[in-house]
Amino acid sequence: MTDSEAVADLPPPVDLGGPAQPLLTVRGLTKHFPFKGGMLGRTAGVVQAVDDVSFELRKGETLGIVGESGCGKSTTSRLIMSLILPSAGEVLFDGQLVGPGGMALKDYRRQVQMVFQDSYSSLNPRLTIQESIAFAPTVHGLNPLAARGRAQDLLQAVGLNPTQFARRYPHELSGGQRQRVNIARALALRPRLIILDEPVSALDKSVEAQVLNLLSDLKTQFGLTYLFISHDLNVVQYMSDRVLVMYLGRIAEIGPVDQIYDTPAHPYTAALLASRPSMDPDHRREHAPLTGDPPNPVNPPSGCRFRTRCSFAEPVCAQTVPELAPLDRGQAAACLMVNDPRHSRHLEFSPGSGAHPKKHTAPIKQAAQARGAA
Amino acid sequence: MSDALVTARDLTVRFVSRDATVHAVNGVDFDLAPREVLCILGESGSGKSVTLRSLMRLNPEARTRMSGTLMVDGHDVMAAGEAEMAELRGSVVSMIFQEPMTALDPVFTIGQQIAETIIRHEHLSHTAAQRRALELLELVQIPSAKRRLAAYPHELSGGLRQRAMIAIALSCRPKLLLADEPTTALDATVQIQILLLLRRLQQEMGMGVIFVTHDLGVAGEIADRVAVMYAGRFIEEGPVGALMRAPLHPYAQGLLGATVHAGLRGTRLTTIPGAPPNLERLPTGCAFAPRCAYAEDLCLAALPAARSPVAGRAARCVRVQDAA
Repeated sequence: MTDSEAVADLPPPVDLGGPAQPLLTVRGLTKHFPFKGGMLGRTAGVVQAVDDVSFELRKGETLGIVGESGCGKSTTSRLIMSLILPSAGEVLFDGQLVGPGGMALKDYRRQVQMVFQDSYSSLNPRLTIQESIAFAPTVHGLNPLAARGRAQDLLQAVGLNPTQFARRYPHELSGGQRQRVNIARALALRPRLIILDEPVSALDKSVEAQVLNLLSDLKTQFGLTYLFISHDLNVVQYMSDRVLVMYLGRIAEIGPVDQIYDTPAHPYTAALLASRPSMDPDHRREHAPLTGDPPNPVNPPSGCRFRTRCSFAEPVCAQTVPELAPLDRGQAAACLMVNDPRHSRHLEFSPGSGAHPKKHTAPIKQAAQARGAA
Repeated sequence: MSDALVTARDLTVRFVSRDATVHAVNGVDFDLAPREVLCILGESGSGKSVTLRSLMRLNPEARTRMSGTLMVDGHDVMAAGEAEMAELRGSVVSMIFQEPMTALDPVFTIGQQIAETIIRHEHLSHTAAQRRALELLELVQIPSAKRRLAAYPHELSGGLRQRAMIAIALSCRPKLLLADEPTTALDATVQIQILLLLRRLQQEMGMGVIFVTHDLGVAGEIADRVAVMYAGRFIEEGPVGALMRAPLHPYAQGLLGATVHAGLRGTRLTTIPGAPPNLERLPTGCAFAPRCAYAEDLCLAALPAARSPVAGRAARCVRVQDAA
């Protein structure tokens, strides 16, 4: 595209389906990475990084994804971004299928942007930060002068003074400032959805708070929807409207943030929450809720993938893969024992402040009975 | 205090190169009693790891200039020769690190690495050392310990590697264990296991522990006392409960306020404006003054002395009233 064809402003994205249409729909998303091994270099196995993940992201909400390393949360974000191709499954954006036969990737990526954990490696070291931010708008046809102007406006919006910072290179900035640049770059195409993959994990606490405040402000200012991925349960609780808990490539539980944190229905969610340090030196944790590390996703356990660490697994858990079953008020959990009377007992973990289930049994039981009756 | 396990007085560590001198630690005073757990809390670049490493004199020798007094279990770390330091490391004081994969040697089995330390310090036979190695793996609760003795570090999961590193550190029953963010790289469900293990071992073996972390929750789980570091100084020190409930120093208050925890949802996080000072050109007064909402002329004139409003607590801030 030459400069004469370039436009002075990009058309704003259009809301196609209206407020009821989910902004993002993920159906049966699966990614298996085959790996080679042995002397002949044949395919020796498959890492089941993401297995049959389905969820919806509503317009204007923040959905948090939590889980431990290897649970597939970053692979999920890369699949949604189409940075890697799924083994199976599909992604719909505002009702339109993404990829061949549907929405073109270039149009899709104008509306969906991503911020990565490592703020340094995700910026081009040879471009000034102004050039980095203006790059994508120029690719999409904005004339270079307007793109530079937008870059400066965005630097201002993320709290970096353009006259001071625009001409600097990434190595001249601190980690927190670089992450602000990454956020500005993600905003440059006026996207509707931003995928934040551990955006504050590499930052110090005081800087983390600054960036989280900034993300909240920008969400209101630009009317954004966030997919917020983190291993930090406190940060996810602070940022999210709903939370999705992943374990070994599958969804363990999904639901509104207060319900998930107050009344977790999946034993893994409960254990994860009870693993948080108590923050109260007078009521320290006495027992670790789980033993051992998460298993290797190469050969995940049969049936329920959590059963090897679950304190109330039954023989049936080894045979049947639990489906994500709806409970009360938008909560859903993939646990076969969710309507077992002993379930509630197992979700009681050691006391501490804030982080554990207490009065959660009633809604789960009601939901279980409701399903039993249906 | 002569019965302290560690005594540091005006501990200063600078890194000197041709271009610049970095003032990493700028006059740290503290005592650690036997069987006590001290957490040093701070952000990156605050000097917490450098302080920890200077206790074993692990900072790069050619570029490091240390001054002040530093006694560990009656040994003068400042004056000790290299041979004496080698004798101390492992037997009196030992250390665990954040990343076990880089701290462990990839070409030796776990069993060999534990036995090496035992043979070096206690002059046991190879078989006796192997037997002790097995006991140690059981002590740190590694399942099927016998089989794991022959395992290489890459064959273990992150949690097991961290346990193996703890086993090596404890192999000669040190009086002082230094821990440099040992749980930061671990998943939540594994982190709590390692913290509980360290707490149990500390009590059973009666060790003194200095634990460096940037995570308040970790400090709350393990510390007796907490010291908050900023720009190479202890700006506040006190018992863990009192310090976490009501910090005295504005920086400690800001750090606690900026930490996301349950119950903050829907509120705006308090932040500390600005960035830490450049350690090549340290200001004369309070290093936090440029970011402090309460700063006055007095703060910039000279470094505030440590003031103690109640016994056992101290903060370097002019706003804190001395009890005496």
